[in-house]
This record gives sequence, C-alpha cells and structure tokens, in this order.
Amino acid sequence: MRGFCLLLAVLFCTCLGVHRENFRTCDQSGFCKRHRSLQPGNSDYVVQASSLRLSKTSLMVDVLNTKSDVRFLLQVYGLQHGIFRVKLVEAEPIRQRYEIPIGVTLVAEPEQAELVYHGEVSGQLKFSLGDNQMVINTNPLRIDFLINNEPVSSLNAQGLLKFEHTQEKKGWFSSRVSSLFSFVSQPFRAKKEETEEGVEGEEGAVQEDEKPSDDERDAGMWEETFKGFTDSKPNGPTSVGVDIAFPGFRYVYGIPEHADSFALKTTKSTDPYRMYNLDVFEYELYNPMALYGHIPFMVAHNDKHTVGVFFQNAAEGWIDIQSNIADKSVFSNLADFVTGNNDVPQTDTHWFFEDGIIDIFVLLGPGPKDVFKQYASLTGNTPLPPLWAIAYHQCRWNYNDQDDVRTVDQTMDKFDIPFDVIWLDIEHTDGKKYFTWDGSRFGDSVEMLRNLSSKGRKLVTIVDPHLKRDDNYETYTDARNQGLLVKNKDGHDFDGWCWPGSSSWPDFLDPKVREWWADQFSLEKYKGSANNLYVWNDMNEPSVFNSPEITFPKDVRHLSGVENREVHNIYGMLVHQATWDGLLKRSNYKERPFVLTRAFFAGSQRSGAVWTGDNMGEWSHLKMTVPMMLSLNLAGIHFSGADIGGFFRNPDSQLIARWYQAAIFQPFFRAHAHIDTKRREPYLLPEDHMIIARDAIKKRYSYLPYWYQLFYESETTGMPPMRSLWMEFPSEANIFEKDDEFMTGSAILVKPVTEEGQTSVSVYFPGKDVVWYDIDTYERYVGQEERTVEAPLSKLPAFQKGGTIVPRKMRGRRSASLTHNDPITLIVCLDKNGKADGQVYVDDYHSYEYRQGSYALSHLSFHNFKLENNLVHLGKDFSTKEWVERVIVVGVNTEPKNIHLIDADHNKVDLSHSYDSQTKVLTIRKPGVNVAQKWIINLH
Amino acid sequence: MVADKFSRWATIFLVCGVFANAQAVGRPRGVSLEKASFYVGTEFKCLSNGKTIPMEHVNDDYCDCEDGSDEPGTSACSNGLFYCENKPYKGSYIMSTRVNDGICDCCDGSDEYDGTISCENTCEKLFAEIRAQQEAFRKKQEEGYKVKLDYIQHGHRVKDEKRTRLSELVKNKAALVEELDNLRAIKDEAEIPEKEAKDKHEEAWKAVKEELQKQRDAVAAAQAFAKLDVNQDNVVDFPELMKHMEFDIDSDGTVSEDEAREYLEDSEQTDLATFTEKIWPNIKEIFKLKSPEDEQVGQQGEAAEDAPSDDGELPSESAEAPEAAQQLDGSIDPDAITEGGAETATLDEMDGRFDDEDDEDEEEDDYPEDDEDDNDLDVLNDNDKLDVREQRKKHKPEDNEEKMPEYSEETKLLIQAADEARKHYDEADENVRTVEKEITGIEKYLEMDLGPQEEFSALKGQCFEFTDREYTYKFCPFDKTSQKPKGGGIETNLGVWGHWYGPEEDKYDSQKYENGQGCWNGPNRSCHVNFHCGAENVLTAASEPSRCEYQFDFTTPARCSEPEPVPLHQVHEEL
Repeated sequence: MRGFCLLLAVLFCTCLGVHRENFRTCDQSGFCKRHRSLQPGNSDYVVQASSLRLSKTSLMVDVLNTKSDVRFLLQVYGLQHGIFRVKLVEAEPIRQRYEIPIGVTLVAEPEQAELVYHGEVSGQLKFSLGDNQMVINTNPLRIDFLINNEPVSSLNAQGLLKFEHTQEKKGWFSSRVSSLFSFVSQPFRAKKEETEEGVEGEEGAVQEDEKPSDDERDAGMWEETFKGFTDSKPNGPTSVGVDIAFPGFRYVYGIPEHADSFALKTTKSTDPYRMYNLDVFEYELYNPMALYGHIPFMVAHNDKHTVGVFFQNAAEGWIDIQSNIADKSVFSNLADFVTGNNDVPQTDTHWFFEDGIIDIFVLLGPGPKDVFKQYASLTGNTPLPPLWAIAYHQCRWNYNDQDDVRTVDQTMDKFDIPFDVIWLDIEHTDGKKYFTWDGSRFGDSVEMLRNLSSKGRKLVTIVDPHLKRDDNYETYTDARNQGLLVKNKDGHDFDGWCWPGSSSWPDFLDPKVREWWADQFSLEKYKGSANNLYVWNDMNEPSVFNSPEITFPKDVRHLSGVENREVHNIYGMLVHQATWDGLLKRSNYKERPFVLTRAFFAGSQRSGAVWTGDNMGEWSHLKMTVPMMLSLNLAGIHFSGADIGGFFRNPDSQLIARWYQAAIFQPFFRAHAHIDTKRREPYLLPEDHMIIARDAIKKRYSYLPYWYQLFYESETTGMPPMRSLWMEFPSEANIFEKDDEFMTGSAILVKPVTEEGQTSVSVYFPGKDVVWYDIDTYERYVGQEERTVEAPLSKLPAFQKGGTIVPRKMRGRRSASLTHNDPITLIVCLDKNGKADGQVYVDDYHSYEYRQGSYALSHLSFHNFKLENNLVHLGKDFSTKEWVERVIVVGVNTEPKNIHLIDADHNKVDLSHSYDSQTKVLTIRKPGVNVAQKWIINLH
Repeated sequence: MVADKFSRWATIFLVCGVFANAQAVGRPRGVSLEKASFYVGTEFKCLSNGKTIPMEHVNDDYCDCEDGSDEPGTSACSNGLFYCENKPYKGSYIMSTRVNDGICDCCDGSDEYDGTISCENTCEKLFAEIRAQQEAFRKKQEEGYKVKLDYIQHGHRVKDEKRTRLSELVKNKAALVEELDNLRAIKDEAEIPEKEAKDKHEEAWKAVKEELQKQRDAVAAAQAFAKLDVNQDNVVDFPELMKHMEFDIDSDGTVSEDEAREYLEDSEQTDLATFTEKIWPNIKEIFKLKSPEDEQVGQQGEAAEDAPSDDGELPSESAEAPEAAQQLDGSIDPDAITEGGAETATLDEMDGRFDDEDDEDEEEDDYPEDDEDDNDLDVLNDNDKLDVREQRKKHKPEDNEEKMPEYSEETKLLIQAADEARKHYDEADENVRTVEKEITGIEKYLEMDLGPQEEFSALKGQCFEFTDREYTYKFCPFDKTSQKPKGGGIETNLGVWGHWYGPEEDKYDSQKYENGQGCWNGPNRSCHVNFHCGAENVLTAASEPSRCEYQFDFTTPARCSEPEPVPLHQVHEEL
C-alpha cells in the first residue's frame, strides 16, 4: 500500500526517492562481508567416503572441515520429477539450527525417487536419478549435476562453501583473561578491541602479517550495530553459503523480488542481489536492493536445457552473480574474437544466508515446463482464483466513506466501466485497529456490502499484522492475554511503531497463533463483515517504522525461541497463509478465498495474490512491471500484478491509459493510488482517455475465459500464465534477454507501450514458421522477424499465435460475476498448416466443487477444415448454460461454400457465415452449441 | 446424460424462446413504440448503416448490426439499448448489456426474462418516490424562487446605487482635482521665497562652520605636533614618528624608517606650518593623541579605538542626543529631536523621514527592525541585540554637532506661509485619493459576475458554516472558504474566490476557490462549491474527495429557476 515514510517524512525527509541509508549494504552486513571476501580456491571441506550410507532413494555421508575439524553431515535425496535435494548440516551442533517445517514452504514431504549408486571412481561417487546424474567429488567436496551426462550445475566448484558452525560465546572470565593477555603482550591491540565493539570483524584486513587474536575474529560476530541499533547476536556467527555454478549457461533468472531486468545481471560492480523482506519507500529501479518479498529460486536457461535451484532458507540472504561472458571486458571480448577463442559460457552464483542450514533442491528440467512442474511439486501450485478475482479491482487509499463507495460503484456503472471489487485501505478502520470500522464513515458496512453484492461485486478490506497496543482493542488484548505476540530479546512483548502507533505483532510462526488469527475472520468475530468481504495483508514484511531497516530487529524472539534472524523471510507468508485459512474456515471450506499480500516467500502462491508494492506513477515503473512480473511468475507467484497507474505521484492520463492496456494481459488487475494523489478512477479521465481505459478494462473482461483457463493450467501444471518469450520458444537464443515483450499463456504475445508519446513500437515475433495475428485487426506477421507496429494511444500491440484457439466472452457485463452464463466466442488462429488447438475450461467460477470433478474441460482442435470440440472431462453433476455464440477463424485462405454443425446427437445444422477476403477472416454465425458437449463444425 | 439433456434444453430455450416471447408483446422485445416501425416486414435494416438482415435475426441473441440495433431485446450487442416499458408509466432505455444479467434494472422487471431471477414490478413505488421528490423539489423551488426575486431586486438595486454613486464620485473627483491643482500652484508659489531665504541663511552658516572647522583642525594639529615633538625642538622628524605604532603600515609590530618617512611625505622632518597644512590631514584619522603608555588607561574608558581621533575632545552628548530620540520601534520622537537640536533645523529631517522617500542608507539605520536583518536579530539574545544597535549608532554619521542659528523672523514668516500652503495641498490630495479608492471599489464590484440577474449579489458579504464530526467549514461567497477543527485551533484557508466553475452551458452551477494554504508534499488547497436550488442559504456538505481538493455543497434561492406547472405525464419521463 505504501511505505513507512509518511510518518518519518514529516520529520526528516523530502521524499524524493528511496532512502538507501535506511538499508544495509553488503559492507554494513557482517556475514555478507565475510562470505563475499572469500576467494575461489580449494575448499576446506572433504567428503569422508568411507562413511557413505545408502538407502534406495538417498545417501548420507560425513564431511569434514579440515581447517576447523568440525564434522558435517551431507544428505542427498532423489526426488520425483527429476529433482536432487542436497542437505548439509552440522553433525553435532551445540544448538539446533532452524529448518523450515513441512507445510510452510514445501507443500508436503517431497516424494522420493530411486537414486542409483554407481560406485566410487578415483575419488568420485557417482549416482543416477532417471536420465540425470550426480557426481560427488570427495576431496575437496564438489557436487556436479548432469543431464544425460552433460554437466549443467555444480555445487562448491569455486570452493566458497562456508558453514559457520554453532559455537558458545566465550565466558566473561576467559574473554577477560585473554584480552588481558593480549593487553600485556600488545597493548595497542587491546585498546583497539574496546573501540571496535559493535563494529564488524575485520577478519581479512588484519590477517596480513600475523594471525588475529580471538578477540579480533570475534568482533562483530557476537554483536553488530547499524544506524545506532544494536543487534545482540546471542548465537554469534551462524551463516551458511556456497557457490553454485551453471556451466553452459549465459543467463539466469528469478530470485524475486528485485526491481531489475528479468535476466539477472552480474554483480561484479554492485552489491549482491539481496533477499530480506523489507518495506522500501519509493523503491528505485535497476538495482539489487531487497524489496517486500523473496524467493530463493533461480532458473538457468540455454537453448538446450532449463534447470532450477531452490535454496530453502528463511534467513536474510545475498546472491552474487558472475558470468564469464558478461564480466569480460570489451578488450578481452575483442581478443577472443581475434584469436577465435570460443568460451563456453558459464554463470557462477554465490549464495549466502545469515542462519539456517544448506538445503538445496536442484531441478534438472530439462525444459522450462519441466522446471515449473518440478518447482510446483515442491512448493505447491497457485489455486484457481474465483473468476471475479481475475477481473478488475478498483482501489485507492482511501475510499472515504460508504457514500464514496456507493458513488464509485454507481459512477462506474454510469460510465459503463466494468469492475468486480472495490477496496478499502487503512482509513476504514477505527484508529487503524483491523477488524473494526470507523463508525462515522462506515456505520453500516453490512448494508454497503449488500449493495455491492447485489451486482455481484465484492469488497476487500485491509488487515495488517500489527495490532494496536490498546487495552480497549479486543484483538490485541486477546492475543496479549493468550501470549501470542512476538517477544523482544528480553522476553517482553515486542513494541514497535506502525500505522496505529505503538503496536505488537502476533507470532505467525506458531501454528496455534495462525489458527487464532484465522478465527478472527469469522462473521461473528469480524463484526460488520460479510461473505463478499475479502482481505488484503499489507506491511507484513513486517514493516516496523522505528526499527532497524524498518522491520523487526533480528534478535526479536518467536514463541518457539527462534530469533527472527532465522525465519525473517517466511513471516509475511505465514500472515498470508493464516488469513487465507481464515477465509476458508469462514465458508466452511466451500468458497475460494482471495487474499492479497505484499510480503511473500516460496510457497506464497498457495494463498493467493501478490502485488509489487508501492511503485510510482512513472513510465519507467510501467516498463518495470514486465520484468518484475516475469520473475514472480517464474518463481511460482503466478497471481501477481502491479498497481495500475502507479501508487505514488500523479500520472497523466496518457500514462494511466497505457498502464490499463499493459495490465490487460498481466495476471492481477488492480488500480491503486496513494492518499496524497489526485483521484483517478477511470471515469475521471478526460473523455478520450476514459474511453481508452474503459476499452482496456472491457478487453480484459472479454479475455477472462482465456485467463481463467490459464489459471486452471497453472493449478494443474505449474505453468505460469505470464511467460517470457523463451519459456515458449526455448531454443531461440536471441530472445533470452527480452523483457519488454511477454506471452500470456502460449497464445498471446504482448508488447506494451511504455514510452510517453510513442505511436509505434518495434515488435519481435518469435518462432520459426510461426504466424501471428493482431488481436484487433487480424493483421498477419511471421515469426523470427522484427516489425514496426502502429500503436496509437488507443492500441495495445498484442498478437495471437497461429495454431491456437482462444475463448472470449464479448457481452460487456458490469461485473465478471454476471458473465457466468454468457456465451463464448472462439478465436481460431490457424498456423501455416491450417491447424489450431485450444481448450475451454468451465466450472461454477467460485467454489471448490471443481476439485470434486464438477467442471467441464474440452479440447478444441481445428484441422482439415473441421473444428472439433472433444470433452476431456465433464463432471457427473456438472452443467453449464455457456454456449458457443460465434467462431472466428483467422487465416482461412478461401471462403468455404457451406458450413454445418454436427451436434452431440449427430444432428446436422447449417450455419451461416461471413468472410473477409482481405484479412482472411471467417466468422461462423451462432453455432449455438453448449461448450460442455461434443460437437463438430465442418467447413466445405 | 442428464447434464447433456439439460444443457440442450437450456440452449433451445435461449435460442427459440427469446423470439417467441418477443412476438407476444406485438413488437420485438426492447423496442420502444417510436422505433417500432423499423421492426416490421421480412427484413431489418441496421439503423445506422443500412445493412440488411432477415427479420428472424432480430433479437435472436446474436449481434449482426454494428450499432446493436438488431438486438434491442437481448444482451448480444455490447452497444445496444433496451427499452423498459415500465407500464403503466412511461418507459426508459437501459444498456442492453444489462438484459438477463441477473439484476433487475427496469422497474417493471422486463429486462430479466430468462428465468434466472424474477423481478417485482416496482414502478408504482418508484413513481411515487420520484413524484414525492419532484414535489419536494418543486416546493423548494417555488419558495426559493420567491426569495430569488427579492435577491434579483436587491442585486439590481445595489448595482444601480453603486452606479449612481459612481457618477457622483466621478463628478466630485473632477472638482477635487481642480482644487488640488490650484492648491499645488499656491504651494509652489509660496515655496520659492521660502527656499531662497533658507538657502541664504544656510550658506552663511556653512561658511561659518567651515571656518570653525579649520580653526579646530589647526588646534588639533598643534596639539598633535606638540605630542609628536618629543624633544620639543619645534620640528618633528622621523625618529619621533617611529615611536607611534599608528604608523605601522604593514602591521609588523614596528614602525620602520620607511613607514615614518612615508608620513613625512619623504622629508626628514617638518615644522608646524607644513605639518598642519600637509601632514595632519593625512594622519588625523589614525593618529592617537595619547601616547602608548596612556593608551592602556584610555582603553578602560570609552572605546577609543572606534572614535575618530579628532572627536577625542569633543563632547559626546551632541552626538548621542538625536539617537536617544530614536525609539526601539524605529519611529522618531519629534520632541526628543527638538531638544537635541534647533527646531527649525530638524523639521526638514523629520519630513524626510516620515515621507517614504528617504535614501536607503538612512532607512537602514533608522528602521533596523523592519529590514531583512531583523530575522538575524531574532536569533540573538537580547543583549546581543542591544550590542548590535550600539554598533549601528556608532556608525551613524554625525553632522549636527554645531547648532545653526535660528532663521531670521522674516524667513520664519516665509516658512510659516509655505507650511500653510503645503497643509492645504496635502488635505486636498488626500480627498482625491479617498474618492479614487471608492471609485476603484465600485468599479470592481460592477465588474463582478453576480449572476445573469444579479441574484447572487445577496450572498456577498455573508458567510455560512457547516460542521461535521471533525471540522467546521466556512463559506464566504465571493470571498473565501476555510476550515477549522471543531475543538478549536487554527483556521485553514481552503481557497480564495477564483471564478465561476460550472460547465459552459451552466456556468453558475459551481464556483472555484483557489490558492488556499499549501499542502505538505502537495498542491495549494482549493475548493469547489456546488450550488443547488434551495429555499434558504445553507452549506449542506463539505468533503475532501482528493487530498487538499475540497468540495462544498451549498443551497441557495439564487440557484432556483422559475417553476413551471408540470403536467403529470411529464413526470413519467423521469423514470
């Protein structure tokens, strides 16, 4: 919704952009510096092959750090679908390291698969898992992964593995004695120790001519300060890190959320990509700073293979990326050219986390679709949203009162602009106490909800995880009295500042707290709510205004005793999950919930939608929506979107119009604006721009059947609805960096206009022998060509791929909930061979009945002048009124003489048609058949 | 399969049922009586482009016409219109996309006929409501319009009065200007002999003063000479000068031979006459009468360093006296001045200071509180402020240490006469200005757009308030808008009168008030006031739909138009 700055801004800032100084750089983070300063070389970690223990699906072997003599346990599991899981833990930790429980990130205990041992050959242990191989080099430890004997990934190839083992802080006595000793022997050093307290250890710097004393090595490891905040670090240094190489890969993607290009950049001259859920006010573009949510999942892709790496760790992380190609100087590239040196590209990545264990899943593809399926098998799928949730959402901080809500609702109808959901931000509450209403503005919220519901519309209210510390606020006192709140390092309820002022936070790490939270959403508890009220979780990183980096201090305690340091990045996801569970419970597990979240982690896709936070109403931010959402989609967050128009600033009507257009084909479709901005509901735009925005919204509505089917595909296959070009055309090497175009599903190519005043764009059409058709004019383009396409303000350049069939609904209703029975139009774009395929998925659009089989899925195929609808599935008790109103076949070279339908009962019905010989478009008039039946349309 | 059969049945119902149903009402469903004639025969021509389709394609739930005219009774066209019969009242159009969408849009429910929901006929109820509303509005309008007639009368009257007054004033002004011209001539006449007499007197005094000064300089030179001439040989030579640190040109702590010679104009020595004539004028500003030994004593007293050496023996009272007359607020106390110097000598000075035509230097010295440095002063403590003032006093040039003798009786009479003439002139000038000011005021009023019939004139000069749970909002038409926290506090300016803001065809629909108090991180506040017809002037609502952009609703009789008798059937149109 917005950053913390509002409060602080009044005091200090002029609010011109991100306040970098609020956030640590790698240099200001002890463990980041320690790992980053490691140099590639021989690793100290050695596998003790004699200790190898095997099971049918896994192996276990001891690993020794030869320098520290600390023993570790390496476990590797073979998993279904072609995944290796590599776990490295301390053999005898003095303190249990945090491991994320099943059900938080992993949807379930992953199913194991047979791991075949092929014995040891010259210090290498060889295994295979289906078509994939794994080789463990014992001295030093290195693990290579191969697809059909071709290496694609390697752990610790650079020897950067560093596992800071658990240790006791030296007691007062021993530390005093040793410092006394060093005082005697080297007076100036002891003095230095005093001033160094709280400063990060200079491990590397003091090493040059002598071994550092223990004190020097310990400095900063047991306490750190940042901007005057002291992190007590009672467990000392606990970080883990390792390098992961991708031989043969020039490009890696993923690890959202960063406001950066889709293809990740080398970090040689910047900080590493940071992963630490933070509320960043007015975030900057094109840099590796952390944002609201993070997913430690990376995908490497080349023209042969796609592989993924998921590093399951909930602590703060940083990832360095180097590429032997990208990091080469212009000079050496030139030298290569002259000498004919043709390096195999390689991307080396280096991952390190402040706590936890090493738990890496290597997903061996070998194609994009396989990797998505593998990742979904681990962290779960995006559940099919109710239809209304993928329609248009009208949001603003804030709709002032019930009258305002009514006026927006009525005015949208008056201007014939469809919408399904109106949102209420924090001002709707009584003093920022969530689950309450400001009685003077929303005195009869139930009536308001009823009015909305009469047009099939919904309301979303914001529910943030901070609870106002107010003795008259029942949600807070209940949580406090039951002991459900996060504690500070001294064991008292943590007290921090957020919107309501002094606040406390329920400990969502604890399952019983999540259950308690879920119960707050029952209609009895959440007074003034109704079944058409849904929820928005904001500030759940969590945002704490008066705390280091605007979030929990790292040493706050969860009820289980773990520090937030160990679990920080999953807190927000658990808020989201608990809210989701609350809405599930409210409907007795019958209705699909909708919950939007700002903070997220791997697995957040299971509880709904994510948005890219507080963006800006600027062209650059519109452009950035594509790479950011491609990264999110790649990492499993399929139901994602950016605030249309941009949250901050006052975008002009041209930018707003273009943003609506771009968002038609992005998954989550919501306009939102900051409280200080001018009102910008689409009907307030000047008429010409209003019409453009309205046309865009109506176009979105017309494509909802396609969108719905894509979400069905997402739930069942793990394929993201929004895709980079290479996901659809994996072997076309020249499009691997492309992130100004995208695919929605496998049928629609989109090139949003993201420059002011632009009236034409250059579009690259991928695919050898592929034809593309403009979705408005059906103008034809051919694949593997770059073409200039006219794009006046009224036009979004978008193209349907030849060979696909897309279902649409053209009836222009007020809300998606009113379209359930409407007929569909099939857009059949033929490929070069006159063929096309597609699907239609229909169910009741709101409940979980489809999970019991209550849906219809039909496969449409056009070939030999014949369009066939074959039912793949029809639920026993399922029926729909939806029928086929029109079939548009694009790319028909000669007009058919006659067309007839053969329905499910083998009746033959003549159909009339029209044909445009210019555009080669054939429109078949009113087949009138139900979509959930078998039928054939013949062209003669 | 059961499901299959059901769906088939549903489809047949949709496809065939629609048309059959339409036939029952005599013309296709959703067509108004006026347009019924287009929908007869075996063919239908799309209303806007003439494309011809078979009549059975009308209302067959498939859109054939680009303008949507073939499907008035179904939702097949996204741009069609459906006619609600609303029997027994007059019908109205709705968008055809709202047909069979599960929501009752027509009051007779005719838009929902596919059996998904059943709609009550609410036309009667709706009609009653609308009629009651219209009745209430009519009543209000009638009442308001009566008041408005008064307003119009009042507005015209005020304008007439103003116009009458204006022509009077224009006439008056002409007379006053003529008088002013006469008085200026008289004044100028009287000032000529006055100036001559005064100049003569002052020039004489100047000569006397110069002579006095010369004498004083000679005395001072002699004193200095005596002081410098340590060996009392009536000659001052360079070794004698070298004993005086004042002559240390390069400030190196010693007076070198060259430095001493420099002051002696490159001679070895000098006698008193040459000293007085040539050397003394060069050194008098730096020379210290007291010897270095005496100096220490001197420093404990007055700030000798700052005082010019030749002031050393002059009484300081004369310099301080006029300053004492200067009040802290920067004004001049005339009494104090008269005490300090000759009455006649200071009158000019006073005139100069009270007029605003002082030169800048003087202004800075005389009005320290008003100049920009004032802010700097505020950050100093009181003692510091006093110090600053002291310093300023010291730098003030002193020129009235000698008292000029009084003017002669004759000259005094001339001055008196001139003063009299000036006084009359000033009075006449003031009269002209007063009239001009009133004229400008009236002209401005006459230019103001107070409505086509001056009906808003009655609102001018009044203010209206509205209080919600947090604020009291205030609306002063043609002046300003503001808000004040209910519990007390500072009033915030939401905008001052800008202009009428209604659309071109209804300009007097609203007003815009602009340039209110600036918003943090946002624009200046502004307020949009919507005018509605009402029996009384009431501010009925205030809101802030967009940050710092306010909206008021104001009812006033001035917005009421003349009610027309409305026959019953016209009420139906509103449905």
